[in-house]
Amino acid sequence: MSTFDSDEAARIHQELHHALPSEPALRVKALESLVVERGMVASETLDNWIEAYSEHIGPRRGAEMVARSWLDPDFRARLLDDAGALAQELGFQGHASVHLKAVENSAQVHNVVVCTLCSCYPFSILGMSPSWYKSAAYRARIVREPRRVLAEFGVSLPEGVGVRVWDSTAELRYLVVPQRPAGTEGWSLERLAALVTRNSMIGTERDLSPHVKGAA
Amino acid sequence: MDTIHDLGGMQGFGPVAVDEPEEPFHHDWEARMWAIARNARAPDWTIDWWRHVRERIAPADYLTRPYFDSWMQTHAAGFIASGVFTLDEIVSGHTAEKHPPPPPETLEQVIARARTEALGFEAPAPAPARFGPGDRVRCIADPPLGRDHHTRLPRYVRSRPGTIHAHWGSHVFADLAARGRHEGQHIYSVRFAARDLWGDDADARDCVHLDLWESYLEPA
Repeated sequence: MSTFDSDEAARIHQELHHALPSEPALRVKALESLVVERGMVASETLDNWIEAYSEHIGPRRGAEMVARSWLDPDFRARLLDDAGALAQELGFQGHASVHLKAVENSAQVHNVVVCTLCSCYPFSILGMSPSWYKSAAYRARIVREPRRVLAEFGVSLPEGVGVRVWDSTAELRYLVVPQRPAGTEGWSLERLAALVTRNSMIGTERDLSPHVKGAA
Repeated sequence: MDTIHDLGGMQGFGPVAVDEPEEPFHHDWEARMWAIARNARAPDWTIDWWRHVRERIAPADYLTRPYFDSWMQTHAAGFIASGVFTLDEIVSGHTAEKHPPPPPETLEQVIARARTEALGFEAPAPAPARFGPGDRVRCIADPPLGRDHHTRLPRYVRSRPGTIHAHWGSHVFADLAARGRHEGQHIYSVRFAARDLWGDDADARDCVHLDLWESYLEPA
């Protein structure tokens, strides 16, 4: 049983710092060998877990939710009301999906998501988070100077747009619903969903216009 | 605890590395670590104890070692603290206490099992909600259990005024969950005007929302 002793954890970290090889690949290889020897998990299961998060559980799920909200006002209302329940209905529930909240961009509002205290992210909806999302620079700066950080991502905000930063400090997770770009009237769900990027659902991309994306 | 993990608003970091390959993992060992973390853990861990163990990594390591390496070290330290493995076992990658692994799961089984990770954090609170949407509040200056404990009240909002945006119900209180205790407490989305956090240099149109437990807040 854990003692939940904070200072003991710090002492163990010091011991690990001195005892472990510096190379992360070697550290992880030893840990995998250990959990497999102990019978906690089979290596083939780990292979398939990686495959699942590489090919199946990823931002296409979020993109489908966003594109459907553009096409179907009832779906949009339900997405904004209880995104977690909708994710479950679509079979997208999983790690960090239950308390999912959708926040919608508009002509006046741009939303962007962070976790300043660790790296909370709606994994089952957007898949693995990008490295920059977990970086100290992003976590430190996006709450303090969001406009400068967004500019680094190439986002230019029209005059009159306020930025709402969502810091994921508890177990709620946030999905940004970007605006449907002009010039997509009559497009199919699949074609619209293909426009929706992972970054736009975190909030570090704003304009999904086909010509903007084509030029990028 | 006021350790290096509490990064919000800290200055001196350079630009964000925005150009990154699209693939979900950039090294095999990162993917292995992610998969290990989702499949092997000690039964007594709570998510907030795990977070706190990660927060206790030495600051220099926290800032400079790769992200998933910090997961490895958190898992290792957590296993040792729970008595699951010894330091020698973690370093050698071998244990005398061997058990046959469970049957391997297929991709379809893994995808189905991933759905069962949908964990809710609702837990009943002992009293009615103290605040409602529109109420003016102020964050307390010190975390409820003191500065030596895990908290989800970041430094950058302590003592700052905000407005209740929504009441999310009652969730397991993180500060106690980090000590293995399961108690519900009301939780709110609180909106802070950027200028109330950062001064007049901030844009008057901007705000920051945080999800904060009731004991972090007092009426303003």
